[in-house]
Amino acid sequence: MEHLITWDGWVGGVGVGLVVVLLFLTTGKALGVSSAYGDACGVAGASYFRKGAFAAPRWRLWFALGLPVGGALAVLTSGVPWAPTWDMGTLYPTVLPGSVWLRGLVLVAGGALIGYGARAAGGCQSGHAITGMALLNPPSVLAGGLFFVGGIVSVQALFAAFS
Amino acid sequence: MQSTPRPSPQPRGGPPGEKRTLPHVAFLPFGALFGFILSRAGATTYDFYAGLFLFEDLQLFWVIAAGAATGAVGVALLKVTGAKALLTGAPMDFRGKPFRPSLVPGSLLLGLGWGLAGACPGTVLAMLGEGKLNALFTIGGILLGTWLFGVINAPAVGVTAAGEPHDTATRPVTGTASP
Repeated sequence: MEHLITWDGWVGGVGVGLVVVLLFLTTGKALGVSSAYGDACGVAGASYFRKGAFAAPRWRLWFALGLPVGGALAVLTSGVPWAPTWDMGTLYPTVLPGSVWLRGLVLVAGGALIGYGARAAGGCQSGHAITGMALLNPPSVLAGGLFFVGGIVSVQALFAAFS
Repeated sequence: MQSTPRPSPQPRGGPPGEKRTLPHVAFLPFGALFGFILSRAGATTYDFYAGLFLFEDLQLFWVIAAGAATGAVGVALLKVTGAKALLTGAPMDFRGKPFRPSLVPGSLLLGLGWGLAGACPGTVLAMLGEGKLNALFTIGGILLGTWLFGVINAPAVGVTAAGEPHDTATRPVTGTASP
């Protein structure tokens, strides 16, 4: 059901890297997404996310709000109509529960691991693995490697147990 | 007071470095561009995540590798030129995130969730924009996990907040303000 235009991986990667460089060049900011979730928690009233590094201003929140706009534009320029869908492709449906709500529970759990882990690590795939490695920052290289270890463990376990 | 020190022409790490302030909404188009490219790169396609960790399809590996490499070349060029940010005149924030002990378990937990949910904090927002409704669950989970981290670590805010993303132009990095 995926009819989205997909570039070769390395082409997409060059594009991603150019956005990192463009953000530095125009605004001087280091691209990253996960802390925007902290900003969102702060806006919602979580005291931890209203102090220290999470004190205002919150440009990252606006950057994050742009991401869905970009996703929608990507569909609209793919020559297919935009339509909401529960589709997850061909692989995950073979191992995740068929019921939308049970599957949702798994995704909430996965998201919670991502959210907690990103704050403990100080960044996510964009801030550590892309921007951090572009800066040749050793802690980010370590984080990026450990992200992959975790991903391999959970997916291999998931498919070994349920497929 | 003829000996009053002049402000440094290139102050580091604080608001004085920013010549012009940028409204935060100006970052929305950058996010939109990033979301568009993540989608074109296949980073919003669930099958590429499972394929990556099953070693069956390295699409996303090449996205990350080429992204980091392109970024490294670009950053090196920017550093050589010593350019200031075009829109603000501020120095660019090339300081990497520091190491801290929680980075190791945190990165592993994030990785486990990455594989389980088939998404990243950034790509899942672009997925939502594409109309992928499962992204709502994952986004809710990320907010929950983020909020939980804040609750659990709240008493040590002054310590744990160090190493979070820092803004050269908007706030001092090594603030020692009491909680």
